[in-house]
Amino acid sequence: MEFGPIWRAMLRNKGGFLLIALQIAVTMTIMVNAIAIIQERSRNIARPSGLDEANTFTLVSVSIGEDMDNKSLIDEDLDLLRGMPGVLNATASNSMPLLQSGWSEGLTLEPGEGKSDSSSALYFADEHTADTFALNFVEGANFEPNQVEWRNHEVNDWPPFVIVSRALAEDLFPDETGSYVGKTFYIDDDNPVNIIGVVERMQAAWQGWSGLERSMLVPQRQDWNFTRYIVRTEPGYREELMPEIEDMLVKSNPDRIIQSVRSMDEVRKLAYLGDAAMIRILTFIVALLTVITGLGIVGLASFNVSRRTRQIGIRRALGATRPAIVRHFMVENLLVSVIGIGVGGILAVALNMFMVEAFALEPLAWYVIPAAMSVLLIVGQLAVAGPARKASNVTPAIATRSV
Amino acid sequence: MLRMNSVSKVYRTDTVETHALREFSLSVEEGEFVSVTGPSGSGKTTFLNIAGLLEELTDGSYELDGRDISSLNDRERSRVRNEKIGFIFQSFNLIPELDIFDNVDVPLRYRGLKSAERRRRVERCLELVGLASRMKHLPAQLSGGQQQRVAIARALAGEPRFLLADEPTGNLDTHMADSVMELLAEINAGGTTIIMVTHELTLADRAKRNIFVRDGNVSDGYGSDASPELHFASAANA
Ligand SMILES: Nc1ncnc2c1ncn2[C@@H]1O[C@H](COP(=O)(O)OP(=O)(O)OP(=O)(O)O)[C@@H](O)[C@H]1O
Ligand SMILES: [Mg+2]
Repeated sequence: MEFGPIWRAMLRNKGGFLLIALQIAVTMTIMVNAIAIIQERSRNIARPSGLDEANTFTLVSVSIGEDMDNKSLIDEDLDLLRGMPGVLNATASNSMPLLQSGWSEGLTLEPGEGKSDSSSALYFADEHTADTFALNFVEGANFEPNQVEWRNHEVNDWPPFVIVSRALAEDLFPDETGSYVGKTFYIDDDNPVNIIGVVERMQAAWQGWSGLERSMLVPQRQDWNFTRYIVRTEPGYREELMPEIEDMLVKSNPDRIIQSVRSMDEVRKLAYLGDAAMIRILTFIVALLTVITGLGIVGLASFNVSRRTRQIGIRRALGATRPAIVRHFMVENLLVSVIGIGVGGILAVALNMFMVEAFALEPLAWYVIPAAMSVLLIVGQLAVAGPARKASNVTPAIATRSV
Repeated sequence: MLRMNSVSKVYRTDTVETHALREFSLSVEEGEFVSVTGPSGSGKTTFLNIAGLLEELTDGSYELDGRDISSLNDRERSRVRNEKIGFIFQSFNLIPELDIFDNVDVPLRYRGLKSAERRRRVERCLELVGLASRMKHLPAQLSGGQQQRVAIARALAGEPRFLLADEPTGNLDTHMADSVMELLAEINAGGTTIIMVTHELTLADRAKRNIFVRDGNVSDGYGSDASPELHFASAANA
């Protein structure tokens, strides 16, 4: 091939080529790092909460009557919910995974004030919560009904037992190789609690928290005028049951309001709204930059074709076939692209290393850089194809006809 | 070697038809040095372009080296230009962004020769035109006469049987024109067939045979062996 003379000719005409190489390098840098962020956000969005999300929904009951007996209202509501055909189980709690608001506590291994050893999301629970959350016990057992107590503004001691997520157990007792059941830690400085069960997975309520996988169930029911119900239906019945249940609860007691009826899908969507938007924006930016780079290449190539019309005619007169003329522009673009993606590759890795440092981003997957390089090479070759074809149609008669 | 029979060339635009060549017939044998003269617009360049396969003819037949040109596709025409024909243009037509070496190398690359062979030929041809010391110069760094000598070296590098020149001395002063003519005469003495368009009758006289073109038609001025296809024998040239 004719790399040599094409390269030397480009060196004598650097301006435009350098700009395009720079554009390719910048596009490559941004593309690679945007993809890294998109991948990380997508991985985050895909993390399971531990719940049977497809068949779970939640709603809130707010008491508005004077001197309401919240305890009996909650019992009545739960009886109604659990008795509803198509409902597998239901529970009342303060929060649930992905809800974005909830309760957390610092935990210590020794009693007394001090630096906490871990922290955890906390869900108030009864003996139905584990089943409603579709939790998978890796050891120990669920609460017995008689272990569950009421909690309110006056009575708010911590109970002696909890069920923890495996991630919380591992964080509290990193050296433990055997059983976590029976182990004790302290909540709120000096209240000892005993682990009676460990579940495989139960996320905290905040999807952006680094301790997302650490949570526990506390066997207490909140005697408050604000109650969140979580309902798990038989597969396929949720959409149908949501309005029916809302209706039923509204009618069952006029002294409260039912609000925030949301499927788990909506809860998840709300939780990851920011991430999803970020993915869309970055995807758009990458696409836009790629298109702009492609257009830049089309522009430079078209300019070069018209600038060199005469020399193309001369080359044709000297024996260049049409494919040889097309190849000339393709090779030229290839050289520019290789410089661009080479520099871009270095810049991309540098920026990624910085982001890994500064924002605790996960390091780049090995295939992102070669993939981005290939995409930009292909875009370049496609972009130059049109002008190159136009060049190949220049008549060799130009050589004698123009002065 | 070159046989044109009743060749016509019509340029059509939306509004006008220009008959640049009409019933143009001519034979040129191997080893001839033919000069072509004629008034401006008479069709000299058109003839040269068709002879050199730079343009297609509208009607008639053209045989080069015993081969009917009209049956060739673009790739084959490119190949004939590359291997059999050398071009010398009035405005030199060197490629400005390539140095002298690379300029002479252009047709050799299109032929696909090995690098050592190309280097040997480029150096030999540049020596022949006396410019071996300027290989790394750009065309713009040479005088007009030097540029035309580079163009001749480029035309010779492919070792063509057939050299076509359109006003090769048109942009040169008398002294440089002389040296170019001497070079062409030498090349012709080596066996290469040359057809040269020129305005200058003194230069035309140095060719072995003179063709006069008028209104897209040809008359053979000097030739003792006037071509048999000759239609108008009105020896209009002095
Ligand atoms: N591409 C074209 N389109 C239309 N007409 C053309 C074209 N090229 C040449 N002609 C016309 O064809 C005729 C012959 O032109 P040609 O260039 O062959 O003349 P010439 O003998 O070389 O003239 P000169 O001595 O001025 O170079 C002219 O009338 C010219 O205007
Ligand atoms: Mg002319």
